[in-house]
Amino acid sequence: MKTGESIKGASGSFLDLLKQESGSYSSLPIGELSAGKVQEIQATTILAFHFCGGVLVAGDRRATAGNRIMANRVEKVIEIDGRSVLAISGSPAQAIEMARVLDHSFRYYRRTQLDEMSLEGRLRLLAQLLKENLPMAMNGVGGVVPLFITLDPESNAPKIYFYDILGAHFEGTPFAVGGSGSLEVQGILRFLDRWGNPSGLSSISKKDAILLSLRLLETASYFDSATGGIQAGDRIYPVIKLVSGEGVETVGEDLLREMMETEVRGV
Amino acid sequence: MFDEPYRWVDAINQRRDYIEEQLKRSSPVVAVTVDEGILLVSFFRQTSKIFEVYDRMAMGAIGHPADIELIRMAAINTAHLEGFARSSKDVSIRRLTMFTISPKLKSAFEDVMSSPMIYRGIFVQAGESPKEDCFLVLDFDGQVQPTKSSAVISNTEDVSDRIRKLLPSTMLSSKEALPLLIHACLSGSSDFEDMGIDTDGKILDADLYRQKKEQFLSEREPDIQLLGRQNGLMTRLPLPDNA
Repeated sequence: MKTGESIKGASGSFLDLLKQESGSYSSLPIGELSAGKVQEIQATTILAFHFCGGVLVAGDRRATAGNRIMANRVEKVIEIDGRSVLAISGSPAQAIEMARVLDHSFRYYRRTQLDEMSLEGRLRLLAQLLKENLPMAMNGVGGVVPLFITLDPESNAPKIYFYDILGAHFEGTPFAVGGSGSLEVQGILRFLDRWGNPSGLSSISKKDAILLSLRLLETASYFDSATGGIQAGDRIYPVIKLVSGEGVETVGEDLLREMMETEVRGV
Repeated sequence: MFDEPYRWVDAINQRRDYIEEQLKRSSPVVAVTVDEGILLVSFFRQTSKIFEVYDRMAMGAIGHPADIELIRMAAINTAHLEGFARSSKDVSIRRLTMFTISPKLKSAFEDVMSSPMIYRGIFVQAGESPKEDCFLVLDFDGQVQPTKSSAVISNTEDVSDRIRKLLPSTMLSSKEALPLLIHACLSGSSDFEDMGIDTDGKILDADLYRQKKEQFLSEREPDIQLLGRQNGLMTRLPLPDNA
């Protein structure tokens, strides 16, 4: 470190810094691996929809490998930098690593550039990570299909984006879903938005939004073995986060337990 | 030069004098523990002097903006790489300064064949409780000085001493501590004697002080930042109405 020395990381790209310094985040050439040889851990039902107070994001807690339940306490709805949420379906190993890269990248950009990364910049960064992951996904391991909910810095309002495995992304209005249990959830959300509340799905209250998400996940688990039901006996509840102009709020387990007993199981 | 040890020592002394002379134009940066986290206050004419480094960590610095930028980026890069490779809990301001920044500053200072780094800084880390807050003062020669519950950097040690006497001695909220820190910064300005303040920072002429304070604030931008204990992030605070 000397006067006149070039400054590393001046572009604000944490991914570039990481590759430069340790090369620890890069697409791996995985050679002979192919689908079927490795039984990969997968997940999930994830969903996000607009309600009157912002966007609700929810996910079940189960991870499976084939017919085997590997874990029932996986957190698939991950807060990123206090302003965004990544909901993951597919391989948790790659998805959780992507969430860590995103979290560090957004914070790194803000700290080095003394400014927030733009909405387009954030969307593009996740697309880049998915694209770099493509060789692994094409070999049958490490595929990730996430939902990304982030605050638009210009309007300070949350937006929902869904991605495909190649990194293409589209805005979900008023909802987006992902994972193996998403078919039922998608149909119900479409129905509710069209013929449910007269003002549309996005006008429902916070309490109704939380209740709806619990019922949707319970429905998904009824049809999809890879989606975990709400196991109140073990006190395992879904992870539900609310994104608004104020930031990210995690719905407490006490409220989820109460709602489960009175509004989901008890009716 | 290198075959005569005296020449090297002489060059180092001249280098120290040169850096101290350059730092004389700087205005102070003050950091204290408050209920909500760590409050950092400074005033600047051109570029901000207080920066977020990592979760729960921040730095304040005086000196040449290009040198501050080099150290700021080195600290941010190291912290983020360490935090990503291991965990954010493995990143500490003590390790960052003592094992990364300080040795580099010392080498830069003692390399008399290159231009010196004009730098003096504070590194702070907000703990889960006020007792766990960490303050370190880092000087241009790599010297690291830990302090308790507050830290001050300014152009000279005399000025820093004057400011330290004016810092709160008990735990306050940020709202309560802020007026004291603003007054401490004013007392550390180079023209404090013309502001109706004595060498202990006591206000001798209230009208003159008010008038000079208004002038001081109108000529500078306030840099008031709270490093939160709960979320570990920096929040910029406005100058209070009664300032």
